[in-house]
Order: sequence, then structure tokens, then C-alpha cells
Amino acid sequence: MKPTATKLFAAALACAGALAANASLAQAIKVAQVLELSGGGTTAGTMYRNGVKLAMNEINAAGGIMGRKVEVSEMDTQSQPAVAKAMTIKAIDDGVSAIFGPVFSGSILVSMTESQKASIPNFTGGEAANLTAQGNPFLFRSSFNQAMGMPKVANYLANDLKVKSVAVVFINNDFGKGGRDAIIKELGARNIKVAADISADPGQVDFSSTVLRAKQANADAVFAYLNEEESARLLRELRKQGYDKPIVGETTIMGAKVIELAGSAANGVRGHVGLTAEAPTASIQAFAQKFEKEFKTKSDHNGIKGYFSAYVYKAAVEKAKSTDGKAVAAALKNSCFSAKQFPGVLMDVCFDDKGDIDRESFLVEVKEGKQIVTATLPPLTKR
Amino acid sequence: MTLSKRHLALLALAIIALTVLPTMLKTYGLYLLTLWLVYIIAAFGLNLTVGYAGLKSLCHAGFMGIGAYTVAILMKAGVSFWLATPVAIVLCFAFGLLIGFPALRVQLHYLGFATLGFNLLLMLFFRNEEWLTGGTFGIQNIKRPELFGYSLMGNLPFYYVVLALTVIAGAALAYLLRSPWGRAFAALRDNPIRAESTGVNITAYTLMSFAIGAAYAGLAGALFAPLVNFIEPAPFGIGNSLLFLLMVVVGGSGRFYGPVLGSAIALLLPEYLRFAKDWYLAVFGFAVVVMMIWLPGGLLSIKETWQLHRAKRDVKSARPEAA
Repeated sequence: MKPTATKLFAAALACAGALAANASLAQAIKVAQVLELSGGGTTAGTMYRNGVKLAMNEINAAGGIMGRKVEVSEMDTQSQPAVAKAMTIKAIDDGVSAIFGPVFSGSILVSMTESQKASIPNFTGGEAANLTAQGNPFLFRSSFNQAMGMPKVANYLANDLKVKSVAVVFINNDFGKGGRDAIIKELGARNIKVAADISADPGQVDFSSTVLRAKQANADAVFAYLNEEESARLLRELRKQGYDKPIVGETTIMGAKVIELAGSAANGVRGHVGLTAEAPTASIQAFAQKFEKEFKTKSDHNGIKGYFSAYVYKAAVEKAKSTDGKAVAAALKNSCFSAKQFPGVLMDVCFDDKGDIDRESFLVEVKEGKQIVTATLPPLTKR
Repeated sequence: MTLSKRHLALLALAIIALTVLPTMLKTYGLYLLTLWLVYIIAAFGLNLTVGYAGLKSLCHAGFMGIGAYTVAILMKAGVSFWLATPVAIVLCFAFGLLIGFPALRVQLHYLGFATLGFNLLLMLFFRNEEWLTGGTFGIQNIKRPELFGYSLMGNLPFYYVVLALTVIAGAALAYLLRSPWGRAFAALRDNPIRAESTGVNITAYTLMSFAIGAAYAGLAGALFAPLVNFIEPAPFGIGNSLLFLLMVVVGGSGRFYGPVLGSAIALLLPEYLRFAKDWYLAVFGFAVVVMMIWLPGGLLSIKETWQLHRAKRDVKSARPEAA
């Protein structure tokens, strides 16, 4: 049989197709971490970075995502929104398929407009309520929205501690301000009086006047909502001035890094956490051990957020069978991922249509320098 | 005095390069280049205050903040960018006059402290007056302007507008410095008492050097807001005021092109030191310290420093013969 031109052409096409498929098979998936590796957010950013790093190393060791290795680049936002935006643009220029970070709400709020323009999924550790309210279809949280965490804290204050008045101490940035607005609304709904409303500056070192005002308010408890370093300084000052009423917080103030920084001053702090390496779940325990072995420090919630983000990205790419941003985003919206099927996500989790997540959370208390889980709270909505 | 032919040719070459080069850059490179031009405008102003008039000002980022917030707030209220920018510049000029008054009474590091305090005050204002400035949430979605019905939303057109304004601002400053004003500023810096005795009105020139420097920062701020599309208090803090001072000093304070070089270094060096990972800020800081020891006059003084060094050596080697 004589090969016709058509057949030859078809054969060539098939060859070319196979080559192209091969090339894409060998080509790595590029992702970028745009995180606070210096400046005020170093603690949170580095934890998140390590989480993603640990997960991506595991994923690559196990053969990558759909047979493709993942190539991770790291960029430093210096904890400044303008730099975060610039670094996100740089990552997009480099042709990444997904962006992890920044963690600080103020930074992600600015940088996510760039990833949205480029249709690239952007995972964040930010908790400010207004992030997912912007209607960005490519933004995905790795932790609770403040608006979802605060009702749980308020319930705890009202039902478990039975307090009548609370002194609120918050950090004056968008994270703290957003949390303060949310908790005050929830406290009002439960008829708990806000005896004092005290703001602290980002990077504040001396908390003596802050604590003095909290003490003079003579409330039944203090609710503190600050970033890691400021939380630790507040706790030390509270103990120094002999504050003996309950200190309640949401996620950050009970974090492993805060406990490490505040030392014994952290004992007795309690409240609600969305994520904790002390959770009584086998998968999280296994993660916590791996993390500590790799980085010689305990993971806090930001470490889990990073690890979770990386594995959720893997699950979404495999579900979408593509690294195309729009397909990946569609695979995440209104979807649940069970820890059984996708061990890396650590806990069963559901994304809604806005990129907010829902899953179990915990009530914890710090005892002898360790976070002890006192109760596990169910997800807000059972699916 | 006119520019030498060589100087003019080099300047033309640089402007042509800055016109052609960006078409080959990706988004990030273009963003960085535009930011560089904005920093140059701000540093031009500070160079006038610090380098030519010799007043230690540590609130330049604050002035830039006034410019940026003015433009952002006015644009949100529906005012055109081309109207808001002059308002920002005039407002900064007025604030410059205001802060110039303490400069008449205190000098050197005392003035540094006074201006530092003013910057802190501005920061607190930006952060706490939420009704006006949006507080820590900042002001978002600041649109880029239109020019003659042509949208500058794209990165390249906006870059060209900033480039044109930088060249105009630079030319205006060059003109100012070559006028009797420029000489009066230098006299003020070198010996205020003698300057006064030769009839230079110290009060007026001190105020003017502050106000004009602030006006430049206002223009830079007015361009910064639409460039980043977002402003919040942090970029206008004391840290960045120090960074501006660094730009002027590293480049060569009191030298016209000092800010051009200085801002490039302050902006780009951290960029190229990223390979050093967590250490890059330390490396950057150390490099500046080393430079200040060997080249206190800034990078542009490298030629003179070298000539001085050679002259000293010649004198030393000549001495034994004389003896």
C-alpha cells in the first residue's frame, strides 16, 4: 500500500500530538508563594510558607500532580500591600498556575485584583470578613472568615463563661478592625456589654497602658484580637499586671507561635480556633509531627493553612483534569473534599460559591504551655 | 550657564532609552520602572531640601501621603485626576510652609526630630480618621486617569505620562537650581550667617526649600495612588521617609542626578539581592554602611573621591623629596 499524502500528514500529526502530550507531561506546574517573609507579618508568612513547602515536597516525592512535578517559587511581600501587589504581578509574568498567599488581609485585598485579572486561583490565609465579599471568583480561603468564627466565640463567652461584660482589645489594622467590628456585633446580639474598646498599634511594643485600660474597665473578661507578636506582648503585660479574669481570643492568641513567644504568660488563655496542630485527629497529629521534624518548630494554624492550601490545589487540579485557572476555580466552588479521599486536606472541608470554607473547629485552652482541645464544634452548615 | 553638548547628548539618549525600553518589558518590569520614576520625583524634592538647602527633613513620605490621599479622595468624589493633582501639589506646598516654620527655629537633628514627629502625626491621621482616609482599610480601586479622552488604564500609557511628568519636574528643578534661587539655597546650606549678611532672606528661602520639596513629594504621591490603585497608611510611614533620605544620600546629596541613581538603588538592589533569601535586607543594609564609610558623598562623588585620594597619595610620595 502506498502511503497517501493525507495518511502521512495524519501520522505526522499524531506524532506531533504525542510529542506535545509528552512535553506537557514533563513540564512542571509552576506555582508561586507570595508571602510575608520579612516585616511585621514574618511569623504568619513563614509558617504558611513552610506548610506549603512541606506539602509540595510530599506531593513531588509521590509523583507530582497528574504526573507533573510542581515548581514552587517564593517571593517576599515585606508585609506591605504595595509590594504584595508587585510580587503577584511578577508571579503572573513568570506564568504560574496558582498563587499561595499573602496571609495578611490588607495585602491579599490588594494583590488579589491582579490574580483575578489573570484568572489564576489565589489561596490566602487572610481572615478579614471583607475579602470574599469582593466577589472575586479566584480567591479561596484556607481558614474561617471572621464573620464565621466570631459567633462561635460570642457563644462561648455567653454560654460557657456566662460573662456580662467584655473589654475588647484589638490591633488597629484591617485584620484586627474587621474582627473587632464582627465581635462587637455578636456581643450586642447576646446582650453582653462592651466595657472598653481598646485599640493597639501594629508593631506596638509597650502594652502597659493598654492593659491598664483593660483592667480599669472592670469587665468580666477580656477579648483580645491581635497578630502573633502583639498577642504575645499583650499576654506578658496582662500577667505582669496580675490580670486574673478570663482572657478569651480567636485563633491567633492561642497559636503555637504565641505560646512560644509569651511563655508561661499564655497559660489560661482560651477561646475558639479554626485550626490547631493539637486537634485530636490522626491526620493533623501526623502532619504536626512531620512539620516539627522538618522545621524544628511547632506548626501553628498558619502552617496548617499552607499545607491544606497546597493539597486542596492538588485535589482541584485532579478534579478539573487541568491546571487552567478557570477550570480549577470551578472545581473548588461549591465542592467538598473529604479527608478520607484526600488525606492532605486533613479535615473534611467544603468551599461555598464565594471561596469561604466550612469545617469543624475547636474550643481550646492553653495549659502548661500546650494547647488543649476542650471541645470540637461541628461545621456551621451540615451538607 | 548652559548644558554642555556631551551632557545634553547623554540626557537625550537616556530619555530615548526610557521611551523605547519599556515596550520590551513585561508587566512587572514596567511597574517597577514606573515606581522608580515616581520615587525619582519625590527624591528630587527631598534633594532640594536636604542636599541643596541643607535642612534635615524626615517627613518626606508623609508629604507624599498627603498628595496620594488628596488625589485618591478627590478622585473618589468624582474630581478629575488632572484637577486633583494640582490641588495635591498646592496642599503639600502649604503643609511644607507650615512645617518650615519650626525649621526656622531648630536645626540639624532637632529639625530631624520635629519633622519625624510631623510624619508620625500624619500616619496617625491617615490611620484613625476612617471617615476620610478609610483608616487601615485604605482606599481601594483608585482609577487611572484619562488624557484627552484616551484611557491610561493600561500600564504602558500610564508609564509614558509618568515619564513625561518626571522630565518636566526635573527640568523645572534644574531651572530653579540655575536661577539665583539655587545659589541662595546653596548659600543657606554652606553658611547661613554669611548668606544673611550678603542679603539672602534666610526666612523666605528656608520656607521655600521646604515647601517646594514638599510639592514634589505631593506630585509623586498623586502619581503613586493611581499607579498602585490602592493606598493605605503604611507606605507613608517613617520607614519610607528614611528610605527617601537614603536615596538622596546614597546617590549623592546636592547633586542633580543623585536622586535618579539613589532611587534606582533603593528600589532595585533589594530586587537583585533576592537570591540571598532571608538575608537580603541585612546585605542591603551592610552595603549602605560600607558605602557611607568609603563614599560619604554618595555614589556620584566617586570620581572626586578618587581624584582626592590620588592627590593625597601624590602629596605623600612627593613629601620625602621635598624634605
